[in-house]
Amino acid sequence: MGLTDLLFLALSAIAIVSGWRVFATDSMVRASFLLLLSFVAVGLIIVMLAAPYIGVATIFMMAVEMMVMALFMVMFMMNPAGLNPMMMVHQHRFSIAAGVLAFAGLTATILFTSFPEIPVDPAAPIVHDLGIELLGPSMLIFETAGVTLLATMIGSVILSSRSGRFGMADQGSRPPGLELDGEPAGRQPEAGGGHHHHHH
Amino acid sequence: MMELIAVLLLLVFLSMGFAGAALADGMLPALIAGQARSSWRRPIAEAARLLTTQRIRTEAPDALLWFLAPTLYLALAIVGLAVIPFGPGLVTIPSEVGIVVWGSCEALTIVAVFMFGWSANAPLPLIGAYRYVAIALPAMLLSMFVLIGAALPAESLAFTEIVEAQRTVWNVVRQPAGLILFLMLGLAISLRGPFDYAGPEDLAGGTTADVSGPSLLAWKVARLAMLVSVSAVTATAFLGGYLGPLLPGFVWLALKTALVLIALVAAGNFFARMPPARMMGVIWTMLLPLSFLMLLAVGTELLLWG
Repeated sequence: MGLTDLLFLALSAIAIVSGWRVFATDSMVRASFLLLLSFVAVGLIIVMLAAPYIGVATIFMMAVEMMVMALFMVMFMMNPAGLNPMMMVHQHRFSIAAGVLAFAGLTATILFTSFPEIPVDPAAPIVHDLGIELLGPSMLIFETAGVTLLATMIGSVILSSRSGRFGMADQGSRPPGLELDGEPAGRQPEAGGGHHHHHH
Repeated sequence: MMELIAVLLLLVFLSMGFAGAALADGMLPALIAGQARSSWRRPIAEAARLLTTQRIRTEAPDALLWFLAPTLYLALAIVGLAVIPFGPGLVTIPSEVGIVVWGSCEALTIVAVFMFGWSANAPLPLIGAYRYVAIALPAMLLSMFVLIGAALPAESLAFTEIVEAQRTVWNVVRQPAGLILFLMLGLAISLRGPFDYAGPEDLAGGTTADVSGPSLLAWKVARLAMLVSVSAVTATAFLGGYLGPLLPGFVWLALKTALVLIALVAAGNFFARMPPARMMGVIWTMLLPLSFLMLLAVGTELLLWG
């Protein structure tokens, strides 16, 4: 077993263990960082597969993505800091079924696909060829994905903006109730008191 | 063999650059303030003081991430330096996607700073961390656009090719505003001056508010290493890297890096920090379109006369 094999096994172990820990941890931020670690390991494996651009770009994109995810937690979550323990898994039965199906499907794919065994020519202009492919024959797919992502981003900004889904941002927020649809938790502001003026 | 020499040069470059950065950081503020007699011993004394200072801890921190964040920050600075050529063919990690590797270092730096502030489990570090992410992410975006502008004339993502393509004209001539934008990113990822939203005074130290002693020293060491790294990348991408007459390439790169480093430290002292909300507006509505324009200008130039 050569150094390459050892490196591959180590990176795979990191990817799998950190991927599993994503679902075993009790905090959103830790889950994001574990997922990032898993993706970094996968990115390095892709680099080992002689696809340097895709591998490094995976690490780059995932670092930004996980950070944006942490930022969005502030905008959308009741527990923005993410240090309070919280349950990270839900819909258990559905998830178990989906997980088993996905695992079986992927395993079947791996077992029944004949993967090419042609080593990449070290002199091949891999990055150049990929660029030609992305901005040539695959342009439509590439651009469709780009525009879809842009629409998603604009949507999320609108949801978190001043006139977001929880009403106007400057009207003060109501904490959630202790029971479903109950009175807001915590101390209630006194009517008409303080600096809050009502004009009728 | 070349790689071994490159590793040795990397170590020399990093230690020299680090010493220079510590000196510049310690002495420039005094010089700017008109005190000529600032001592070169001050950074060493400060480090010794931090080594002996008591360690404090917050309530229920994420101890592992808190400990790992400075290590990650330092490692990213070293990886960033490793993709930079010190001479023709003299590069520690000869990557054909050098600027993407550097981009990952930038992105992961933001993660490291956030990690550092978040894992303290205390209000001020957390505010500093979130504020920093909001400013540093768009700052990183513009740096990537101007770096693509630097890669266009070389028709390659490798730093070696980018330097060789500057034999005719340096990238700073092609996109002067690009250099300024990249220096802004340099301020952001080395956490200084007008772009330091992580650990500034208005948050009583921000991400570093509840860190003391050796941990704080480790963080400051990593910050200075990143300053060296980002200065070297700026010199390579915009100022021709190791190119220059007479002197060896390594010396030219060191000189240009020193120049950028001093400019960054001085900028950190001369310019004030804007309120975060205003800075957000400036980045998204002025600087980002400016970086698009620079990219468009370089592309047009290469199409018409390239």
